[in-house]
Amino acid sequence: MDETSQPPSPDVAVKAVGLRKSFGWLEALRGVSFELKKGEFLAVFGPNGAGKTTLLKILSTLTRPTAGSAWVAGYDATKGDAELRKEIGVISHASSIYGDLTAFENMVFYARMYGVRDPETRAVEVVDEVGLKARLHDRAATFSRGMLQRLTIARAVIHNPSVLFLDEPYTGLDQHAAKSLTEQLAFLHTEKRALILTTHDIDRGLDTCDKAAIQVAGKFVRMDSIDEIDRKNFENLYLKTVRENS
Amino acid sequence: MDQYFKTVYAIVWKDFVTELKTRELFSSMFIFATLVILIFIFSINLSVVDAREVGPGILWAAFIFSGTLGLNRSFMLEKENDCLQGLMLTPADRTAIFFGKMLSNFVFLTIMEIFILPLFMVFFNIDLLPHLGPLLLVVFLGTVGFCVLGTLLSSLSAHLKNREVMLPLLLYPLLVPVVIGSVRMTGQILAGKELGDMSQWIGLILCFDIIFTGAAIMTIDHILEE
Ligand SMILES: Nc1ncnc2c1ncn2[C@@H]1O[C@H](COP(=O)(O)OP(=O)(O)OP(=O)(O)O)[C@@H](O)[C@H]1O
Ligand SMILES: [Mg+2]
Repeated sequence: MDETSQPPSPDVAVKAVGLRKSFGWLEALRGVSFELKKGEFLAVFGPNGAGKTTLLKILSTLTRPTAGSAWVAGYDATKGDAELRKEIGVISHASSIYGDLTAFENMVFYARMYGVRDPETRAVEVVDEVGLKARLHDRAATFSRGMLQRLTIARAVIHNPSVLFLDEPYTGLDQHAAKSLTEQLAFLHTEKRALILTTHDIDRGLDTCDKAAIQVAGKFVRMDSIDEIDRKNFENLYLKTVRENS
Repeated sequence: MDQYFKTVYAIVWKDFVTELKTRELFSSMFIFATLVILIFIFSINLSVVDAREVGPGILWAAFIFSGTLGLNRSFMLEKENDCLQGLMLTPADRTAIFFGKMLSNFVFLTIMEIFILPLFMVFFNIDLLPHLGPLLLVVFLGTVGFCVLGTLLSSLSAHLKNREVMLPLLLYPLLVPVVIGSVRMTGQILAGKELGDMSQWIGLILCFDIIFTGAAIMTIDHILEE
Protein backbone atom coordinates (compact mmCIF):
# COMPACT_ATOMS: atom_id res chain seq x y z
CA MET A 1 0.00 0.00 0.00
CA ASP A 2 1.50 3.33 -0.97
CA GLU A 3 1.20 6.49 1.04
CA THR A 4 -1.49 8.04 -1.11
CA SER A 5 -3.99 5.34 -0.26
CA GLN A 6 -3.80 6.03 3.46
CA PRO A 7 -6.81 7.66 5.11
CA PRO A 8 -6.45 11.43 5.06
CA SER A 9 -6.24 13.64 8.14
CA PRO A 10 -9.50 14.40 9.96
CA ASP A 11 -9.93 17.90 8.54
CA VAL A 12 -10.12 16.50 5.00
CA ALA A 13 -13.69 15.85 3.92
CA VAL A 14 -13.07 14.38 0.48
CA LYS A 15 -9.88 13.01 -0.98
CA ALA A 16 -9.49 11.33 -4.35
CA VAL A 17 -6.27 9.78 -5.57
CA GLY A 18 -5.91 8.67 -9.18
CA LEU A 19 -9.56 7.75 -9.62
CA ARG A 20 -10.23 5.87 -12.83
CA LYS A 21 -13.42 4.42 -14.19
CA SER A 22 -13.89 2.55 -17.44
CA PHE A 23 -17.10 1.40 -19.04
CA GLY A 24 -15.78 -1.24 -21.38
CA TRP A 25 -13.37 0.53 -23.71
CA LEU A 26 -14.63 3.94 -22.71
CA GLU A 27 -12.61 5.70 -20.03
CA ALA A 28 -14.97 8.04 -18.19
CA LEU A 29 -12.41 8.96 -15.51
CA ARG A 30 -8.70 8.99 -16.25
CA GLY A 31 -7.04 9.73 -12.95
CA VAL A 32 -8.85 12.32 -10.86
CA SER A 33 -7.00 13.50 -7.76
CA PHE A 34 -7.98 16.29 -5.41
CA GLU A 35 -8.54 17.11 -1.79
CA LEU A 36 -11.32 19.07 -0.16
CA LYS A 37 -11.29 20.24 3.44
CA LYS A 38 -14.23 20.48 5.79
CA GLY A 39 -16.24 23.61 5.19
CA GLU A 40 -15.04 23.99 1.60
CA PHE A 41 -17.31 24.27 -1.40
CA LEU A 42 -15.98 22.95 -4.69
CA ALA A 43 -17.66 23.69 -8.01
CA VAL A 44 -16.76 21.35 -10.85
CA PHE A 45 -17.24 22.67 -14.37
CA GLY A 46 -16.87 20.55 -17.45
CA PRO A 47 -18.41 19.75 -20.82
CA ASN A 48 -20.91 16.95 -21.35
CA GLY A 49 -19.32 13.57 -20.92
CA ALA A 50 -16.37 14.87 -18.91
CA GLY A 51 -17.16 12.36 -16.17
CA LYS A 52 -18.58 14.70 -13.53
CA THR A 53 -21.55 12.48 -12.74
CA THR A 54 -19.34 9.41 -12.73
CA LEU A 55 -17.02 11.07 -10.20
CA LEU A 56 -19.90 11.94 -7.87
CA LYS A 57 -21.31 8.43 -8.21
CA ILE A 58 -18.02 6.94 -7.09
CA LEU A 59 -17.71 9.35 -4.16
CA SER A 60 -21.27 8.55 -3.08
CA THR A 61 -20.62 4.76 -3.28
CA LEU A 62 -23.10 4.19 -6.10
CA THR A 63 -20.38 2.77 -8.35
CA ARG A 64 -16.90 1.51 -7.71
CA PRO A 65 -13.86 2.94 -9.46
CA THR A 66 -11.79 0.75 -11.76
CA ALA A 67 -8.65 2.04 -10.03
CA GLY A 68 -7.59 4.65 -7.52
CA SER A 69 -8.80 5.43 -4.05
CA ALA A 70 -11.30 7.82 -2.55
CA TRP A 71 -12.00 8.90 0.99
CA VAL A 72 -15.14 10.67 2.11
CA ALA A 73 -15.61 11.86 5.68
CA GLY A 74 -12.78 9.55 6.72
CA TYR A 75 -14.28 6.42 5.14
CA ASP A 76 -13.07 4.50 2.13
CA ALA A 77 -15.55 5.21 -0.67
CA THR A 78 -14.39 2.26 -2.73
CA LYS A 79 -15.65 -0.12 -0.06
CA GLY A 80 -19.11 1.42 -0.12
CA ASP A 81 -19.89 0.92 3.52
CA ALA A 82 -22.92 2.15 5.43
CA GLU A 83 -21.02 4.43 7.81
CA LEU A 84 -19.93 6.54 4.85
CA ARG A 85 -23.48 6.82 3.55
CA LYS A 86 -24.59 8.27 6.88
CA GLU A 87 -22.21 11.16 6.26
CA ILE A 88 -23.25 12.11 2.73
CA GLY A 89 -26.23 13.71 1.06
CA VAL A 90 -26.71 13.48 -2.71
CA ILE A 91 -28.78 15.61 -5.04
CA SER A 92 -28.74 14.30 -8.60
CA HIS A 93 -30.93 14.36 -11.70
CA ALA A 94 -33.16 11.87 -9.96
CA SER A 95 -35.29 13.34 -7.21
CA SER A 96 -35.81 9.94 -5.52
CA ILE A 97 -39.11 11.31 -4.23
CA TYR A 98 -42.21 9.11 -4.25
CA GLY A 99 -44.87 10.96 -6.21
CA ASP A 100 -47.82 9.26 -4.51
CA LEU A 101 -46.63 10.22 -1.04
CA THR A 102 -46.90 13.67 0.49
CA ALA A 103 -43.83 15.78 1.25
CA PHE A 104 -44.21 14.83 4.90
CA GLU A 105 -44.54 11.09 4.23
CA ASN A 106 -41.51 11.15 1.92
CA MET A 107 -39.40 12.81 4.58
CA VAL A 108 -40.62 10.50 7.35
CA PHE A 109 -39.72 7.55 5.16
CA TYR A 110 -36.19 8.74 4.46
CA ALA A 111 -35.67 9.79 8.07
CA ARG A 112 -36.50 6.24 9.10
CA MET A 113 -34.19 4.79 6.48
CA TYR A 114 -31.36 6.91 7.87
CA GLY A 115 -32.22 5.98 11.43
CA VAL A 116 -32.87 9.63 12.34
CA ARG A 117 -34.30 10.04 15.82
CA ASP A 118 -37.90 11.23 15.93
CA PRO A 119 -38.59 11.08 12.17
CA GLU A 120 -41.89 13.02 12.28
CA THR A 121 -40.41 16.08 13.98
CA ARG A 122 -37.36 16.05 11.76
CA ALA A 123 -39.56 15.72 8.65
CA VAL A 124 -41.54 18.84 9.53
CA GLU A 125 -38.36 20.70 10.39
CA VAL A 126 -36.55 19.90 7.18
CA VAL A 127 -39.56 20.66 4.97
CA ASP A 128 -39.83 23.99 6.75
CA GLU A 129 -36.14 24.69 6.14
CA VAL A 130 -36.60 24.40 2.38
CA GLY A 131 -39.67 26.61 2.51
CA LEU A 132 -42.33 24.05 1.69
CA LYS A 133 -44.20 24.06 4.96
CA ALA A 134 -47.43 25.18 3.31
CA ARG A 135 -47.31 22.11 1.06
CA LEU A 136 -46.35 19.66 3.79
CA HIS A 137 -49.34 17.40 3.24
CA ASP A 138 -49.62 17.65 -0.53
CA ARG A 139 -48.68 14.79 -2.84
CA ALA A 140 -45.19 15.28 -4.25
CA ALA A 141 -46.48 14.49 -7.76
CA THR A 142 -48.38 17.80 -7.69
CA PHE A 143 -45.20 19.82 -7.05
CA SER A 144 -43.55 22.08 -9.62
CA ARG A 145 -39.98 21.37 -10.74
CA GLY A 146 -38.57 23.94 -8.34
CA MET A 147 -40.60 22.68 -5.40
CA LEU A 148 -39.59 19.12 -6.14
CA GLN A 149 -35.97 20.24 -6.23
CA ARG A 150 -36.35 21.79 -2.79
CA LEU A 151 -37.91 18.61 -1.47
CA THR A 152 -34.96 16.72 -2.95
CA ILE A 153 -32.63 18.96 -0.98
CA ALA A 154 -34.65 18.25 2.14
CA ARG A 155 -34.31 14.53 1.44
CA ALA A 156 -30.57 14.85 0.98
CA VAL A 157 -29.97 16.72 4.25
CA ILE A 158 -32.51 15.00 6.48
CA HIS A 159 -29.74 13.16 8.35
CA ASN A 160 -27.55 16.26 8.58
CA PRO A 161 -24.71 14.96 6.40
CA SER A 162 -21.20 16.39 6.62
CA VAL A 163 -20.60 16.14 2.87
CA LEU A 164 -23.07 17.14 0.15
CA PHE A 165 -22.84 16.20 -3.53
CA LEU A 166 -24.93 18.14 -6.00
CA ASP A 167 -25.03 17.04 -9.63
CA GLU A 168 -26.32 19.84 -11.84
CA PRO A 169 -28.98 21.02 -9.43
CA TYR A 170 -29.77 24.08 -11.55
CA THR A 171 -31.08 22.06 -14.49
CA GLY A 172 -34.69 22.89 -15.31
CA LEU A 173 -35.08 25.65 -12.76
CA ASP A 174 -36.43 29.09 -13.68
CA GLN A 175 -34.67 32.30 -12.58
CA HIS A 176 -36.60 32.52 -9.37
CA ALA A 177 -36.11 28.88 -8.40
CA ALA A 178 -32.43 29.06 -9.30
CA LYS A 179 -31.98 32.10 -7.10
CA SER A 180 -33.66 30.38 -4.23
CA LEU A 181 -31.44 27.34 -4.78
CA THR A 182 -28.37 29.57 -4.52
CA GLU A 183 -29.71 30.86 -1.22
CA GLN A 184 -30.34 27.31 -0.03
CA LEU A 185 -26.78 26.38 -0.91
CA ALA A 186 -25.40 29.32 1.04
CA PHE A 187 -27.53 28.18 3.97
CA LEU A 188 -26.23 24.61 3.68
CA HIS A 189 -22.63 25.73 3.37
CA THR A 190 -21.58 25.65 7.02
CA GLU A 191 -18.11 25.28 8.56
CA LYS A 192 -18.57 21.62 9.21
CA ARG A 193 -19.92 20.70 5.82
CA ALA A 194 -18.09 20.22 2.55
CA LEU A 195 -19.96 20.52 -0.74
CA ILE A 196 -19.20 19.47 -4.30
CA LEU A 197 -21.36 20.93 -7.02
CA THR A 198 -21.23 20.15 -10.72
CA THR A 199 -22.83 22.60 -13.08
CA HIS A 200 -22.75 24.10 -16.54
CA ASP A 201 -23.84 27.43 -15.13
CA ILE A 202 -20.50 29.14 -14.53
CA ASP A 203 -21.89 32.32 -12.96
CA ARG A 204 -24.06 30.51 -10.47
CA GLY A 205 -21.31 28.06 -9.65
CA LEU A 206 -18.81 30.84 -8.96
CA ASP A 207 -21.38 32.69 -6.83
CA THR A 208 -21.48 29.94 -4.26
CA CYS A 209 -18.19 28.06 -4.38
CA ASP A 210 -14.84 28.75 -2.81
CA LYS A 211 -12.88 26.43 -5.09
CA ALA A 212 -13.46 25.78 -8.75
CA ALA A 213 -12.24 22.85 -10.80
CA ILE A 214 -12.40 22.31 -14.54
CA GLN A 215 -12.85 18.71 -15.54
CA VAL A 216 -12.21 17.69 -19.13
CA ALA A 217 -12.13 14.17 -20.57
CA GLY A 218 -12.03 12.43 -17.22
CA LYS A 219 -9.40 14.62 -15.55
CA PHE A 220 -9.24 17.70 -13.36
CA VAL A 221 -7.16 19.99 -15.55
CA ARG A 222 -7.15 22.79 -13.03
CA MET A 223 -8.43 23.64 -9.61
CA ASP A 224 -8.26 27.19 -8.26
CA SER A 225 -9.46 28.84 -5.12
CA ILE A 226 -12.02 31.59 -5.68
CA ASP A 227 -9.58 34.35 -4.62
CA GLU A 228 -7.26 33.44 -7.47
CA ILE A 229 -10.02 33.48 -10.05
CA ASP A 230 -10.61 36.43 -12.28
CA ARG A 231 -14.38 36.15 -12.53
CA LYS A 232 -14.68 38.28 -15.65
CA ASN A 233 -12.37 36.08 -17.64
CA PHE A 234 -13.23 32.73 -16.13
CA GLU A 235 -15.65 31.81 -18.88
CA ASN A 236 -12.99 32.45 -21.52
CA LEU A 237 -10.46 30.55 -19.49
CA TYR A 238 -12.92 27.69 -19.19
CA LEU A 239 -13.61 27.56 -22.93
CA LYS A 240 -9.90 27.71 -23.69
CA THR A 241 -9.06 24.98 -21.20
CA VAL A 242 -11.76 22.72 -22.57
CA ARG A 243 -10.62 23.28 -26.15
CA GLU A 244 -6.99 22.56 -25.31
CA ASN A 245 -7.68 19.38 -23.39
CA SER A 246 -10.34 17.60 -25.38
CA MET B 1 -30.61 -5.06 14.78
CA ASP B 2 -33.17 -2.52 15.87
CA GLN B 3 -32.36 -0.36 12.85
CA TYR B 4 -32.69 -3.44 10.64
CA PHE B 5 -36.32 -3.96 11.60
CA LYS B 6 -36.97 -0.24 11.40
CA THR B 7 -35.78 -0.31 7.79
CA VAL B 8 -38.02 -3.26 6.92
CA TYR B 9 -40.90 -1.49 8.64
CA ALA B 10 -40.19 1.79 6.85
CA ILE B 11 -40.38 0.12 3.43
CA VAL B 12 -43.55 -1.80 4.22
CA TRP B 13 -45.11 1.33 5.72
CA LYS B 14 -44.25 3.34 2.61
CA ASP B 15 -45.74 0.73 0.28
CA PHE B 16 -48.89 0.54 2.37
CA VAL B 17 -49.41 4.28 2.51
CA THR B 18 -48.94 4.41 -1.27
CA GLU B 19 -51.36 1.55 -1.83
CA LEU B 20 -53.99 2.99 0.51
CA LYS B 21 -53.95 6.16 -1.57
CA THR B 22 -53.84 4.72 -5.06
CA ARG B 23 -55.37 1.23 -4.63
CA GLU B 24 -53.73 0.50 -7.98
CA LEU B 25 -51.88 -2.60 -6.97
CA PHE B 26 -54.79 -4.39 -5.37
CA SER B 27 -57.36 -3.48 -7.99
CA SER B 28 -55.17 -4.41 -10.95
CA MET B 29 -54.11 -7.72 -9.40
CA PHE B 30 -57.62 -8.60 -8.34
CA ILE B 31 -59.22 -7.78 -11.68
CA PHE B 32 -56.53 -9.65 -13.56
CA ALA B 33 -56.84 -12.77 -11.41
CA THR B 34 -60.62 -12.69 -11.78
CA LEU B 35 -60.27 -12.43 -15.54
CA VAL B 36 -57.90 -15.39 -15.70
CA ILE B 37 -60.38 -17.51 -13.78
CA LEU B 38 -63.30 -16.32 -15.91
CA ILE B 39 -61.50 -17.10 -19.16
CA PHE B 40 -60.91 -20.65 -17.99
CA ILE B 41 -64.50 -20.98 -16.78
CA PHE B 42 -65.78 -20.03 -20.22
CA SER B 43 -63.34 -22.28 -22.03
CA ILE B 44 -63.86 -25.46 -20.03
CA ASN B 45 -67.04 -27.43 -19.89
CA LEU B 46 -67.37 -28.10 -16.19
CA SER B 47 -70.08 -30.72 -16.74
CA VAL B 48 -67.48 -32.85 -18.54
CA VAL B 49 -64.30 -32.22 -16.54
CA ASP B 50 -64.08 -32.47 -12.81
CA ALA B 51 -63.67 -29.02 -11.25
CA ARG B 52 -61.44 -30.49 -8.55
CA GLU B 53 -59.05 -31.77 -11.22
CA VAL B 54 -58.60 -28.54 -13.17
CA GLY B 55 -59.42 -26.00 -10.46
CA PRO B 56 -56.09 -25.97 -8.57
CA GLY B 57 -54.05 -25.33 -11.73
CA ILE B 58 -56.32 -22.50 -12.77
CA LEU B 59 -56.26 -21.00 -9.30
CA TRP B 60 -52.47 -20.95 -9.22
CA ALA B 61 -52.24 -19.64 -12.76
CA ALA B 62 -54.42 -16.75 -11.66
CA PHE B 63 -52.27 -16.16 -8.55
CA ILE B 64 -49.01 -16.23 -10.44
CA PHE B 65 -50.03 -14.10 -13.41
CA SER B 66 -51.57 -11.43 -11.24
CA GLY B 67 -48.67 -11.73 -8.81
CA THR B 68 -46.27 -10.92 -11.65
CA LEU B 69 -48.34 -7.86 -12.40
CA GLY B 70 -47.98 -6.89 -8.75
CA LEU B 71 -44.20 -7.41 -8.77
CA ASN B 72 -43.85 -5.20 -11.81
CA ARG B 73 -45.98 -2.46 -10.36
CA SER B 74 -44.24 -2.67 -6.99
CA PHE B 75 -40.88 -2.25 -8.64
CA MET B 76 -42.12 0.56 -10.87
CA LEU B 77 -42.68 2.57 -7.70
CA GLU B 78 -38.98 2.34 -6.97
CA LYS B 79 -37.91 3.12 -10.53
CA GLU B 80 -40.05 6.22 -10.86
CA ASN B 81 -37.91 9.30 -10.08
CA ASP B 82 -35.13 6.75 -9.53
CA CYS B 83 -36.18 6.19 -5.94
CA LEU B 84 -34.06 3.06 -5.99
CA GLN B 85 -30.98 5.27 -6.12
CA GLY B 86 -32.31 7.17 -3.12
CA LEU B 87 -32.67 3.87 -1.27
CA MET B 88 -29.15 2.81 -2.23
CA LEU B 89 -27.79 6.07 -0.83
CA THR B 90 -29.21 5.40 2.61
CA PRO B 91 -27.07 3.47 5.08
CA ALA B 92 -29.85 0.89 5.35
CA ASP B 93 -28.83 -2.74 5.05
CA ARG B 94 -29.53 -4.01 1.52
CA THR B 95 -31.05 -7.23 2.78
CA ALA B 96 -33.42 -5.18 4.95
CA ILE B 97 -34.50 -3.26 1.85
CA PHE B 98 -35.02 -6.59 0.09
CA PHE B 99 -37.05 -8.06 2.95
CA GLY B 100 -39.13 -4.91 3.19
CA LYS B 101 -40.04 -5.11 -0.49
CA MET B 102 -40.62 -8.83 -0.25
CA LEU B 103 -42.83 -8.49 2.77
CA SER B 104 -45.03 -5.84 1.21
CA ASN B 105 -45.29 -7.88 -1.99
CA PHE B 106 -46.26 -10.86 0.12
CA VAL B 107 -48.93 -9.03 2.06
CA PHE B 108 -50.52 -7.48 -1.04
CA LEU B 109 -50.51 -10.80 -2.86
CA THR B 110 -51.99 -12.62 0.12
CA ILE B 111 -54.78 -10.09 0.48
CA MET B 112 -55.60 -10.48 -3.21
CA GLU B 113 -55.59 -14.27 -2.85
CA ILE B 114 -57.94 -14.13 0.11
CA PHE B 115 -60.38 -12.17 -2.04
CA ILE B 116 -59.98 -14.57 -4.97
CA LEU B 117 -60.65 -17.76 -2.99
CA PRO B 118 -64.40 -17.11 -2.46
CA LEU B 119 -64.77 -16.26 -6.17
CA PHE B 120 -63.02 -19.48 -7.05
CA MET B 121 -65.36 -21.33 -4.71
CA VAL B 122 -68.42 -19.87 -6.43
CA PHE B 123 -67.25 -20.26 -10.03
CA PHE B 124 -66.04 -23.82 -9.64
CA ASN B 125 -68.72 -24.79 -7.20
CA ILE B 126 -66.20 -26.33 -4.81
CA ASP B 127 -66.77 -26.01 -1.09
CA LEU B 128 -63.42 -24.82 0.27
CA LEU B 129 -64.57 -24.26 3.84
CA PRO B 130 -63.90 -27.79 5.18
CA HIS B 131 -60.34 -27.60 3.78
CA LEU B 132 -59.66 -24.00 4.67
CA GLY B 133 -56.82 -24.57 7.18
CA PRO B 134 -54.59 -26.77 4.99
CA LEU B 135 -55.46 -24.73 1.92
CA LEU B 136 -54.35 -21.49 3.55
CA LEU B 137 -51.10 -23.14 4.60
CA VAL B 138 -50.40 -24.19 1.01
CA VAL B 139 -51.31 -20.74 -0.29
CA PHE B 140 -48.97 -19.27 2.31
CA LEU B 141 -46.01 -21.50 1.38
CA GLY B 142 -46.49 -21.02 -2.34
CA THR B 143 -46.87 -17.27 -2.03
CA VAL B 144 -43.72 -16.97 0.08
CA GLY B 145 -41.81 -18.87 -2.60
CA PHE B 146 -43.23 -16.69 -5.34
CA CYS B 147 -42.44 -13.48 -3.47
CA VAL B 148 -38.89 -14.41 -2.47
CA LEU B 149 -37.90 -15.38 -5.99
CA GLY B 150 -40.04 -12.69 -7.60
CA THR B 151 -38.58 -9.87 -5.51
CA LEU B 152 -35.06 -11.16 -6.06
CA LEU B 153 -35.51 -11.35 -9.82
CA SER B 154 -37.22 -7.99 -10.09
CA SER B 155 -34.19 -6.46 -8.35
CA LEU B 156 -31.97 -8.37 -10.75
CA SER B 157 -33.85 -7.12 -13.79
CA ALA B 158 -34.18 -3.58 -12.39
CA HIS B 159 -31.59 -2.11 -14.73
CA LEU B 160 -32.72 -4.02 -17.83
CA LYS B 161 -34.54 -2.06 -20.46
CA ASN B 162 -37.31 -4.55 -21.18
CA ARG B 163 -37.80 -5.78 -17.67
CA GLU B 164 -41.54 -6.42 -18.02
CA VAL B 165 -40.63 -9.20 -20.44
CA MET B 166 -37.46 -10.32 -18.69
CA LEU B 167 -39.04 -10.79 -15.29
CA PRO B 168 -41.49 -13.56 -16.25
CA LEU B 169 -38.89 -15.08 -18.55
CA LEU B 170 -36.49 -15.51 -15.63
CA LEU B 171 -39.11 -16.12 -12.98
CA TYR B 172 -41.40 -18.80 -14.41
CA PRO B 173 -38.84 -21.50 -15.21
CA LEU B 174 -37.30 -21.19 -11.75
CA LEU B 175 -40.71 -21.17 -10.16
CA VAL B 176 -41.66 -24.59 -11.54
CA PRO B 177 -41.09 -26.54 -8.28
CA VAL B 178 -43.29 -24.15 -6.33
CA VAL B 179 -46.02 -24.21 -8.94
CA ILE B 180 -46.10 -27.98 -9.26
CA GLY B 181 -45.94 -28.44 -5.49
CA SER B 182 -48.67 -25.92 -4.80
CA VAL B 183 -50.99 -27.20 -7.53
CA ARG B 184 -50.53 -30.81 -6.50
CA MET B 185 -51.11 -30.06 -2.84
CA THR B 186 -54.15 -27.91 -3.55
CA GLY B 187 -55.59 -30.76 -5.65
CA GLN B 188 -54.96 -33.33 -2.94
CA ILE B 189 -56.45 -31.08 -0.28
CA LEU B 190 -59.59 -30.62 -2.36
CA ALA B 191 -59.71 -34.38 -2.80
CA GLY B 192 -59.91 -34.62 0.97
CA LYS B 193 -56.38 -35.83 1.74
CA GLU B 194 -54.61 -34.94 4.97
CA LEU B 195 -51.63 -32.57 5.05
CA GLY B 196 -49.57 -35.38 6.59
CA ASP B 197 -49.75 -37.28 3.28
CA MET B 198 -48.05 -34.45 1.42
CA SER B 199 -44.96 -33.98 3.50
CA GLN B 200 -42.65 -34.32 0.45
CA TRP B 201 -44.38 -31.47 -1.32
CA ILE B 202 -44.33 -29.31 1.78
CA GLY B 203 -40.66 -30.15 2.21
CA LEU B 204 -39.96 -29.26 -1.41
CA ILE B 205 -41.58 -25.84 -1.17
CA LEU B 206 -40.00 -25.13 2.21
CA CYS B 207 -36.58 -25.99 0.80
CA PHE B 208 -37.26 -23.73 -2.16
CA ASP B 209 -38.25 -20.85 0.14
CA ILE B 210 -35.18 -21.31 2.31
CA ILE B 211 -32.72 -21.73 -0.57
CA PHE B 212 -33.87 -18.62 -2.39
CA THR B 213 -34.04 -16.56 0.80
CA GLY B 214 -30.44 -17.59 1.39
CA ALA B 215 -29.53 -16.80 -2.19
CA ALA B 216 -31.15 -13.38 -1.86
CA ILE B 217 -29.26 -12.56 1.34
CA MET B 218 -25.98 -13.54 -0.26
CA THR B 219 -26.42 -11.80 -3.60
CA ILE B 220 -28.61 -8.76 -3.04
CA ASP B 221 -25.63 -6.47 -2.33
CA HIS B 222 -24.18 -7.18 -5.76
CA ILE B 223 -27.52 -7.25 -7.51
CA LEU B 224 -28.57 -3.81 -6.34
CA GLU B 225 -25.24 -2.27 -7.18
CA GLU B 226 -25.12 -0.65 -10.59
N1 LIG C 1 -23.36 3.36 -16.94
C1 LIG C 1 -22.60 3.73 -17.97
N2 LIG C 1 -22.30 2.86 -18.95
C2 LIG C 1 -21.54 3.22 -19.99
N3 LIG C 1 -21.00 4.43 -20.14
C3 LIG C 1 -21.25 5.35 -19.21
C4 LIG C 1 -22.08 5.06 -18.08
N4 LIG C 1 -22.16 6.18 -17.33
C5 LIG C 1 -21.43 7.12 -17.96
N5 LIG C 1 -20.89 6.63 -19.08
C6 LIG C 1 -20.01 7.37 -20.01
O1 LIG C 1 -19.01 8.01 -19.25
C7 LIG C 1 -18.72 9.29 -19.75
C8 LIG C 1 -18.87 10.30 -18.66
O2 LIG C 1 -20.24 10.42 -18.32
P1 LIG C 1 -20.77 11.36 -17.17
O3 LIG C 1 -22.23 11.17 -17.08
O4 LIG C 1 -19.98 11.13 -15.94
O5 LIG C 1 -20.43 12.80 -17.75
P2 LIG C 1 -20.87 14.20 -17.20
O6 LIG C 1 -19.64 15.02 -17.07
O7 LIG C 1 -21.72 14.05 -16.00
O8 LIG C 1 -21.71 14.76 -18.41
P3 LIG C 1 -22.99 15.72 -18.40
O9 LIG C 1 -22.46 17.11 -18.31
O10 LIG C 1 -23.60 15.48 -19.73
O11 LIG C 1 -23.85 15.33 -17.27
C9 LIG C 1 -19.68 9.51 -20.91
O12 LIG C 1 -18.98 9.28 -22.11
C10 LIG C 1 -20.74 8.47 -20.72
O13 LIG C 1 -21.23 8.03 -21.96
MG1 LIG D 1 -23.70 14.52 -15.50
